Amino acid sequence: MNTTSAPWLIVALREVETKLKDKAFVISTLGTLALIIGAVALTGFLGSKSADYSVAATDPLSYQVLTEAQDQRPENMSLAISQLDPGQARDQVQSQDIDAMLASSADQRSMTLTGFDELDADLEQLVSTAMRTVLTDQLLSAQGLDAFALPTADDLETEQLQGDSERSSMIRAMAFIFSFLFYMAALIFGMPIANSVIEEKQNRVVEILASTVRLRQLLAGKIIGNVILAMVQLLVFLGVGLLAAYLAPGEIPFLGVVSTVAGWFVVFFLGGFMLLAGIWAALGALATRTEDLQQSSGPIIGALVAVMFIGIYAKGGFLVLASYIPIASSVAMPIRMLSGDVALWEPLLSLAVLLAACWAVLLFSERIYRRAVMHTGGALTLRRAMKLEL
Amino acid sequence: MLEVHNVSRSFAERLVLDDVNFTVPRGALTGFVGANGAGKTTTMRIIMGLLKASSGTVSLDGKPLEGDTRPHFGYMPEERGLYPKQPIIDQLVYLGQLHSLSRSEARRRAMELLARFGLDDRAKSKLESLSLGNQQRVQVAAALLHEPEVLILDEPFSGLDPIAVDSMSSILRDYASRGVPVLFSSHQLDLLDVLVDHLVIIQDGRILANASAEDLRASQATRHKLSLGADAGWLRDEPGVEVIDISGSRALVNFQTETDSQRVLREALSLGTVTEFAIHRPALADIYREIIK
Repeated sequence: MNTTSAPWLIVALREVETKLKDKAFVISTLGTLALIIGAVALTGFLGSKSADYSVAATDPLSYQVLTEAQDQRPENMSLAISQLDPGQARDQVQSQDIDAMLASSADQRSMTLTGFDELDADLEQLVSTAMRTVLTDQLLSAQGLDAFALPTADDLETEQLQGDSERSSMIRAMAFIFSFLFYMAALIFGMPIANSVIEEKQNRVVEILASTVRLRQLLAGKIIGNVILAMVQLLVFLGVGLLAAYLAPGEIPFLGVVSTVAGWFVVFFLGGFMLLAGIWAALGALATRTEDLQQSSGPIIGALVAVMFIGIYAKGGFLVLASYIPIASSVAMPIRMLSGDVALWEPLLSLAVLLAACWAVLLFSERIYRRAVMHTGGALTLRRAMKLEL
Repeated sequence: MLEVHNVSRSFAERLVLDDVNFTVPRGALTGFVGANGAGKTTTMRIIMGLLKASSGTVSLDGKPLEGDTRPHFGYMPEERGLYPKQPIIDQLVYLGQLHSLSRSEARRRAMELLARFGLDDRAKSKLESLSLGNQQRVQVAAALLHEPEVLILDEPFSGLDPIAVDSMSSILRDYASRGVPVLFSSHQLDLLDVLVDHLVIIQDGRILANASAEDLRASQATRHKLSLGADAGWLRDEPGVEVIDISGSRALVNFQTETDSQRVLREALSLGTVTEFAIHRPALADIYREIIK
């Protein structure tokens, strides 16, 4: 590179470069990635675990039951039926060529399912249900009744006025993921902004930096560098997670709406994170030593934990309110959108509020930073920092 | 020429700089001396734009310096400031880039300076692994990277061993001789004599002297040193002679007129041997002590 760049860009690139050389950061990112892929793969695997059974029928009635079972089997199960005489069937079960054999009792009222060792509960369940259906049908038709005329459990239909149950469990899962990602990024990338400001204050590099470039540029560079890192990490996490979900063998429901909302989440995340970055920078400027930060960061970490819990647990009106409060809105609004009944103007309005807050905090942080960064004697309170002269 | 005009500054009602005026000429090394708390660092920070003056201006070649950055100045802060946990070359390149050098140019300049300080083989070491003297050399390199138009160095010699002092002196000389105004503060008065061409003395926020070393020495060169063959006590009774110090056969005196000096010389010769009779050129350190009294 042979051209000179704007100072904020140089600062931002350096933040990125330093972080990428940080082994702890690289390892934790790769670890999280592995975790995401693992979790998605596991979900897919569990959802699609297929079972293949082969069962021998030893008489016409057992064959009829097995045929019924084949009709009733769930999607992820296959059932191969063979017709053998009892002796052959026993031999094949013995040699484990087939999983089980089914034999009717002499009175045709009960049946025996024989396996090599303990029978798979799924298979047992399937066969028992099928048997009941077949035997009931036979009994009914013997009485001249049609099985279809009987009332069944299916006659009760369920409805809910809002959403549906599968959807709400998806929302709960995604709410957790969004909240946790935001909380993690806010700490992993926010804290270093404060620390790097303190480091430069503590080492007095800031005197050289401040006489070379405007502090605004320095501050902007630090924030942008960490925003880039946080966004790239978030996009990689979300991207890999969604990709793994698409590629997973089983079908994960609501992938379409999750993908769309993930896009919105990225936008809200960006706004919320910028806001936090400004606050972190100001906290860094107020502190003199890294230890000061432990005290002053208490409230902000508390707020972040609160946001995480709002994301995970909040419902109804409280969630709607939270979806307009900056920082909380970064998780609350995307979570509301998962339910699919949020009008487009709502996220846009919330975003506007967020960006306005973001701008205000950045301006304010710059003031604090400009004043406090040259101050060397002990940690400052906000009020004292505002009074300092340049 | 860098000029400080009528600069005053107070911190919370306390006046720290009171109408400070001085110049830092081109082609000369300017020493800035004063006790702790006299206002040296505050003055330098105001020159660098880090602090604002309550009143007054700083100008370079007649043009007032504006804004709060001085990207074309080289600055070495009093409390040294670099990144201890980072490789030397990385931070020098970073600072060079912030001073609008390209990455490759910054690297080239940094390696050149490190070579000059004999530190080129340590380029990839972390700063904190270097000795204090070497860390200071890196700090100077950081101030020189971008070929600054003006050099402002706060206590560049403190903590340096004599060899390092020599190499630092020669670097400062080199810059001064290229026409760069160089202002450095120092506590080490003995360095002043060999080094500075121009001296600014500050006390309690006021400038007590702002003159070339030559003029300062000349202004104080009214004294004579005498070394006689015998006791010099008789000088106390001579008219037109103000005795400053007599110890045995040696004396330090002020003559009221040139005639007085010649008369005393003749008298001394008539009394015995005279091994030394010379105008006493005071060291700048002595002048400093004299001025701040």
